[in-house]
Amino acid sequence: MASRFRHNLLLGLSIFVLMVLVLAPFYWIFSSSIKLPQEIISATPTFVPHSFTTEHYDKLLGESSFPTYMRNSIVVAVGTMAITVVLSTLAAYGLYRLRFPGRITLFRVILITYAFPGVLLLVPMYQMMSKLKLVDSLTALVIVNVTLSAPFAVWMLQAFFRTIPRELEEAAALDGASRLGIIVRIMLPLAAPGVASIAIFAFITSWTEYIFSSILIISEANRTLPVGLAGIIGQYQIDWGLLLAGATATTLPVLILFSLVGRNFVEGLTAGAVK
Amino acid sequence: MRSKFVPILVLLLVAAMVLPSLPAQARQDKVEITLWHMEEPTNRVERIQTLIDEFNAAHPEIEVKQEPQNWGEIYTKAPAAIAAGNAPELLFAIPDFTPILKDLGALQPVEDFVAELDAEHPFYPATVEQYTYDDHTWAVPLYNMSQNLWYRKSVLEAAGVEVPTTWDEWLAAAEALTTDAQYGVGLPAAKNLYTDQVMYDLMIGAGASEIYNDDGTLRFNNPETVEAYDMYNQLLQYSPVDSPNWAWGEAEACFANRTCAMVIQFTVITTYDTQAEGDAEDLGVAPIPYKEGVEDPGTIAYANAVMLLTDDPAKKEAAETFISWLLQPENYGRFLNMEPGLFLPVTEDGATADSFWEDPLVVKYQDQVQTMIENSTSGRLFGFTSGNTFPSIASISAQNLLAQTLQLVAIDGQSPADAVAEGQSLMESAIED
Repeated sequence: MASRFRHNLLLGLSIFVLMVLVLAPFYWIFSSSIKLPQEIISATPTFVPHSFTTEHYDKLLGESSFPTYMRNSIVVAVGTMAITVVLSTLAAYGLYRLRFPGRITLFRVILITYAFPGVLLLVPMYQMMSKLKLVDSLTALVIVNVTLSAPFAVWMLQAFFRTIPRELEEAAALDGASRLGIIVRIMLPLAAPGVASIAIFAFITSWTEYIFSSILIISEANRTLPVGLAGIIGQYQIDWGLLLAGATATTLPVLILFSLVGRNFVEGLTAGAVK
Repeated sequence: MRSKFVPILVLLLVAAMVLPSLPAQARQDKVEITLWHMEEPTNRVERIQTLIDEFNAAHPEIEVKQEPQNWGEIYTKAPAAIAAGNAPELLFAIPDFTPILKDLGALQPVEDFVAELDAEHPFYPATVEQYTYDDHTWAVPLYNMSQNLWYRKSVLEAAGVEVPTTWDEWLAAAEALTTDAQYGVGLPAAKNLYTDQVMYDLMIGAGASEIYNDDGTLRFNNPETVEAYDMYNQLLQYSPVDSPNWAWGEAEACFANRTCAMVIQFTVITTYDTQAEGDAEDLGVAPIPYKEGVEDPGTIAYANAVMLLTDDPAKKEAAETFISWLLQPENYGRFLNMEPGLFLPVTEDGATADSFWEDPLVVKYQDQVQTMIENSTSGRLFGFTSGNTFPSIASISAQNLLAQTLQLVAIDGQSPADAVAEGQSLMESAIED
C-alpha cells in the first residue's frame, strides 16, 4: 500500500507540476489583462490582481482593429481546416489503398515537404501569389496554410486508415458501395478521431502562422491576429494592457474548438501513436 | 454516420471557398495613392486616417489610402513588393532603410521637390542631409526623433544629486541613486536597435560620432570609441540585471514603475502620463551627458521621411500634393501629435505651429517637449554625419553591430579595446558582403 501511495503521490505531483508549467503563463496573461496599467508594470508583481478593469478589453474591441483581425483569422483557419481535411482524407486513402509504382516514394516525399523550412518558400510563394493576383487576399493565406499543414495530415491519416480492417471495405464493396461511398460511409466514421486531429492541427497551424501572413497581407482590413497583434504592440512604446487583452482574446477560439472536439483529438493522437 | 460527416464537410468547404475576400475593386475616376507607413499603433493609424480623410475631401481628384506595415517585415516586404510590381507610391523611411530601396532603383530623386517645400517651410538642414547622397535627395523629411535623459526631479533631489551633464557626474549619480529598491540607470545591452542607439549616444558624447573617414573607410576603432564602450560598461553595473534583454518598452516600464531612476529614451511622456504618476512638474528631461572636454556633444536623432516610389507623372503629382498638404502648419502639428511627445518637427514653421502646441498632452508637458526639440537640434545619426553619407551603413545597422560590440564587452568580458577592434572587423565584413 505504501508503495502504491508513493507512486500515486509521484504521479499527482507530476501532474501538478505540469499543470503549473502549462497553465501559469495563461493565468498570468489573463489576470494581468484585467489589472490597471500601473499594476501591470509594477516592480512588485501581484499574483492575484489588486485592481480590476475592463479598459484594456474595451480599447481592444472598441478602438483597435482586433475584431477585424479575429474575423480574418477565423475565415482563414476554417478555410484551411476544411480544405486540409478534404484533400488529406482523399490523398491519404489513395496512398493507403491504391497500388501504383512509386507509391512509397511519393509518401516519403510528402513527409519530406513537411520537414522543409517554410520560410524558404517565402519568395517563390510571394511571386506565385503576385502572378495569380492573390497578394493581400485571404485566399492566399488559405492556400499557404493548406500547403503547410496537408503533408503532415496525410501522413497522420494514412496511419489511421491502416488500422481499419480491409475486410470491412471488401464487405461494403460486395454490397455495391462505390470507392467514394466506402470512404464516406466506412473509413471516415472509423477514422473520426484522426480526422478531428488533423482538423485541429490545420486550424492551429493557420491560427498561429505569422511569416507568410506578414508578407502576403498588405492592408489593415485583411490582417490576421498574429500580425495584427504585432502591430498593436508598436516599436517604441508598448501598451501592455492592450497586448495582454489581445493575447487572452486570441486564445478563446482555440479553447472553444478544443472543448468541442478535444476528446476526439486526444483519442486521435493516442491511436495514431500506438496502432 | 454519413449524415454526420457529409454536410459538415460540404459546409466547411463552401465556407472556405466563399468567405475569403478579394481586394477591393479599384476606383477608376481618381488618381489613387497608396501610403505604406510603420506607425501601426491604433492611435497613430486613426490620426493618419483623419488627415487622409480631410485631404481626400479637399482634393476630389485624388484618393490617398494608408496601409500600415511593420518595421519587422518591411525590409523584406518592400523589396518583394517592388519586384512584384505591387509597391506603394509613398513609403515612410528612416535613413538606414533608404539606401536599400535606392539600390533597387525604386526611388525617385526628390531634391527639386524638397527645395520647393523648403522655400515655404524651411527644413532643419540635418534632417535633409540624412537623405542626401550620390547627387540626389532620396526622401522628404517628415518627423524627427531624438533621445534624451529622463529622470524624476524628486528622486534626484531626495538623493542630493544634480542633473548630470558630464560622464563623471553621470557615473556618480548612477551610483548614488542605486539602492535596494532602485537602479541608478536603465541601459539596454541586447543585440537590437535600441542598444545601437544608446551606444551611439555615448559615442557622440565621447567625440566618436564619425564611424567613417572622409574616404569612406571605417574609423570605428579609435580611442574615443573605446572610451565610450568603457563608460557604457561602467554604467551597466547600475542597471537592472535583465537589461541585456531589453528593448524600448522594458526600459520605459522600468522608469514608469520607479525601478530605474534614469533612462535614455526618445520619450517616456505617454507612458509616464498614463501608467505612472503623470505629474508634469516632476518629470525631468535633459541632454545626454558627455565626456568632459568634448566640444560638440549631442544625441542620436532619426529624421523619419517619406520616399516616392512612382515615376507615373499623375501619381507623382498627386503624391507631392499630399506631402505638401501634410506639411502645412495647420495640418502638420496634428500629424506629429499622432504620438504626442514622441515625434518632433523637421520644419521651422512646424516647430511653432499652433496645431502642434495645442495638443492636450503637449500643453501639459510643454517644457519637456521644448527641451526635446532643443536637444534634437544637436542630433546626428551614425553613417550620416558631417555631410559624409555612406549608404553601406545600412549593412552595419541591419546587423546591430554597435550593440554586438557592446555585448563583447558586457557579456563576453572582453576589454573595450579588443571588442572595438573586433567590432571594426565585423563591420568591414558586413560591408564587403
